[in-house]
Amino acid sequence: MSSRAKVVPLRPRRGASASPEGAPAAEAGRRDGLLVAVARALEAGRHGLTWENVAALWSAAYFSWHSEEVDDFGRDPKFTEAIRPLLEFLYTVWWRVEPAGVENVPAEGPALVVANHSGVLPWDGIMISLALRHEHPARRECRMLALDMFALLPFLAPALARTGAVRASQENGERLLRQGELVGVFPEGVKGVGKRYRDRYKLARFGRGGFVRLALRTGAPIVPCAVVGAEEIHPVLAKADWVGRPFGLPYLPITPSFPLLGPLGVVPLPTKWSIDFADPVPTASYGPEAADDPILVNRLSEQVRSIVQRMIDGRLARRRSVWFG
Amino acid sequence: MGRIALTGTASFLGARLLRRLAETKGPEKLLVVDVAPPPAALDVRHRAVDLTEPAADQRLLDVFREEQVETVLHFAFYTGPRRDAAHAHELESIGTLAVLAAGAAAGVGRVVMRSFTAVYGARGQNPAFLTEDRALQPEPALAWARDKLEAEQHAASFARRYPDLKVAVLRFAPLVGPRVHTFYTRILDRRVVPVLMGYDPLVQMLHPDDALAAAEAAVERSVAGAFNVVPSRPIPLLTALHLAGKIPVPVPHLIAYPLADLMWSAGVGEAPGRFCDYVRFPFVADGERARRELGFTPRHASRDALLAYLGYRHPHARLRAAQAST
Repeated sequence: MSSRAKVVPLRPRRGASASPEGAPAAEAGRRDGLLVAVARALEAGRHGLTWENVAALWSAAYFSWHSEEVDDFGRDPKFTEAIRPLLEFLYTVWWRVEPAGVENVPAEGPALVVANHSGVLPWDGIMISLALRHEHPARRECRMLALDMFALLPFLAPALARTGAVRASQENGERLLRQGELVGVFPEGVKGVGKRYRDRYKLARFGRGGFVRLALRTGAPIVPCAVVGAEEIHPVLAKADWVGRPFGLPYLPITPSFPLLGPLGVVPLPTKWSIDFADPVPTASYGPEAADDPILVNRLSEQVRSIVQRMIDGRLARRRSVWFG
Repeated sequence: MGRIALTGTASFLGARLLRRLAETKGPEKLLVVDVAPPPAALDVRHRAVDLTEPAADQRLLDVFREEQVETVLHFAFYTGPRRDAAHAHELESIGTLAVLAAGAAAGVGRVVMRSFTAVYGARGQNPAFLTEDRALQPEPALAWARDKLEAEQHAASFARRYPDLKVAVLRFAPLVGPRVHTFYTRILDRRVVPVLMGYDPLVQMLHPDDALAAAEAAVERSVAGAFNVVPSRPIPLLTALHLAGKIPVPVPHLIAYPLADLMWSAGVGEAPGRFCDYVRFPFVADGERARRELGFTPRHASRDALLAYLGYRHPHARLRAAQAST
């Protein structure tokens, strides 16, 4: 791309920009930037209020923060850039995230980051991938596997997919790892993310070891990861599951601010976060057929779980304040 | 060497395949088995058989024997939902049964059948890429998809019962591109397009040139089993609509399904309500098996197919936009 600004004529001469009969496909794909489209619309004024112009303005506005192409799983680089300032604000100012041990994540090749899940909304996953992008020497991109309750939720699901999250399933995880990607999972699942305030930092069961089978089949090392601080951002006092069920939600949390303050209740509390990564647990030596050995799968799952719990307990013992760390 | 028989030559893909094979194989190797005769200019033999009539299998058997048919290319399927569901069922489900039964009885070596990736069913729980061994679970209340599912089940059952009959099923992603006029492109021809509020699934749009290349590869290579024929990359639905310069209007899905049903039964809608699943959930298929066994690699991504369609449909789009603003 040339670094020089391109001069775009605001008022193309009649016929000058007209393509010859049967414009090639590339022509249909070229479009003006948002500013040019707005300038054109303003200049044209009332007489320019045609379907074509409204649609052109509409699509210019859309593509000012969406890419025209996404990757195979729907990740949209431009959208990710567009919402980055908000996420950076949460990372550096709101939660003052303090990552440790990022160098334990391999610089290349597939790896599975396994973390505790909490905080009602999937903020912890977003912060883990931000931490790796910021602090890891290889600036690794971590693709989070999202729970069904998020990956199928209207409005949230398309946004998550555009930022690179993928619905959690064996097929999707395996495909990503075989492509050599860094993948993040939360084996606690719904039991973790919706746990009550009084149960905070007590790890729930790690599913049925699906993440271990995934790692064994692909030979990817498992990097245990502990997030401290996220469990207090939405203190769940009680759960009104019967209200959420008809809307397809597995739970509906009641926090000090939600639903009392309405939409304001969605604003998370500004706790102090730390994200710790432990030494990787290698899995390649077992071979892919070990994925069918339930005893081994359970043993590895328990091993990873105790590493995460130990890291959490260590952090909690050193922590003096929920707000300042 | 026996002949290649084609059904559904009035369909877009069937017609293009007929033309291509007439060029590459020569018209004397081909036989059109359809209600409508092929274009006279092609000079291809034609035997009129109505797949929906009760004795279609007997008629087909006679035709296959008399003409020494070796390969049957079965392309008689509707790409969009039909109001006359009973007729569509007779043609697609029962008609396929007749083609397979006659083919097996006549000792035809191979059947290549057209199918659809939509037969997997659009679901939130679908993996990002559906592989051919995935169970076919289309919405049971949707007659359009149910007929395709039954045709696939007939194909699978004949392949099992007659080991000498090689049945290849090509599951094409929705076709979008120059000269394609289907249910999907009719929606793309509108200025304002209703979408489901809060949903934006990845969709696949297959360029007709790629579809044709895959069909040709299936004729050339003596393969059996199901193959997804898909573009190189999917595209989010909303991105596609904005690329096409449409104005998407979000409709809550609780209203959209009954509204679409109401319009469909009133005779103004494009599709029954259950069809909304296909713009709500993904049904993106994986083309790896076709790459490996058919040697077919798509040359176009979904975006290319869409832009090719727009370039064909609106060759003067930019001219009009420029004139409107002056």
